[in-house]
Amino acid sequence: MNLVNVLAADPAETHHWLLPETAEIIYGGIASVLVIGALVKFALPQFKKALAARTERIQKELDSSSNDLAQAQADASKIRQALGDIASEKARLLADAKAQADALLADGRARLTAEISDMEAKADADVAAAAARGSDELRTEIGRLATVATDRVIASVLDDATQQSLVENFIAKVGASR
Amino acid sequence: MSDARIDGYARALFEIARAEGTLDEVEDELFRFARSFESSDQLRNTLTDEQIPADKRQAVVESLLGGKATATTTQLIGMVVGSGRGRDLPAIIDKLVQRASSAKKLEVAEVRSAVSLSADQQARLKAALTNATGKELNLKVVVDPSVLGGLVATVGDTVIDGSVRTRLDNVKSRL
Repeated sequence: MNLVNVLAADPAETHHWLLPETAEIIYGGIASVLVIGALVKFALPQFKKALAARTERIQKELDSSSNDLAQAQADASKIRQALGDIASEKARLLADAKAQADALLADGRARLTAEISDMEAKADADVAAAAARGSDELRTEIGRLATVATDRVIASVLDDATQQSLVENFIAKVGASR
Repeated sequence: MSDARIDGYARALFEIARAEGTLDEVEDELFRFARSFESSDQLRNTLTDEQIPADKRQAVVESLLGGKATATTTQLIGMVVGSGRGRDLPAIIDKLVQRASSAKKLEVAEVRSAVSLSADQQARLKAALTNATGKELNLKVVVDPSVLGGLVATVGDTVIDGSVRTRLDNVKSRL
């Protein structure tokens, strides 16, 4: 059957084939009103409630996000501040290290200077002591040689007459001593 | 050696010399030998060397003193040296001299001279020292070339030094 045949009105029919029957319209209309009323009465509050809960959840999520954002910003601020602190701490540590290095360097230089000065003084003292020792040794040797020479000279000078004179002088001096 | 042993040897030597009737001469010879012993390293080393047999050491004494000292002196020194007491010989002899002087109520006066003194000089020296110290003296003269000239007299703790050696030493120390 072709489309023309389908669309062609059946003369035996009481109403147009495109429209429902009147009773069906009535019953259908009542049923629809009942269904719609039931939906309005029962489903709409649930729908509203679900919508409100969803809205509330979304709002909570938005608040939470806002809080998270604020927290993140605060953390970022803290981090930035901490970075600033770290930079200043780094600068302070570097300054301390430099000061300590300068102090160590100055101390080392002073100690080195003192040690060099001590070494120079010790070397001078050693040289002086060596010179004095050499001088003393020379003096002692000269003294020893002089003693030996003197003994020999005196022994050769002290002839028998002189010896006897010394003995007589001693006897005379002792005899007159009391 | 202990003082008691030295004293024992000195007493024995003293009694032997006194019994022989040559105490003065022996005492004088012993004193001079002791001073020679002290001043000569070679003599001291020889007579105190334990490695040398005793009879050899006594033979050294005999050869040194034989004919120059009395037999008693030679025998006494030989006895001390032979008994291994050579190291204490000066101390023993000094004790003997002290004992002999005490027996005669005399104080020992040791005089060191660079040259030997005549009997007259010794007598005048003894008189002078007696006058100076106020003591009766037993004079012992030792010829000691190290004195160089003059005399050094020691009476007990008193030393009267008129030696050239000491004057030289004084000059040296001042220099």
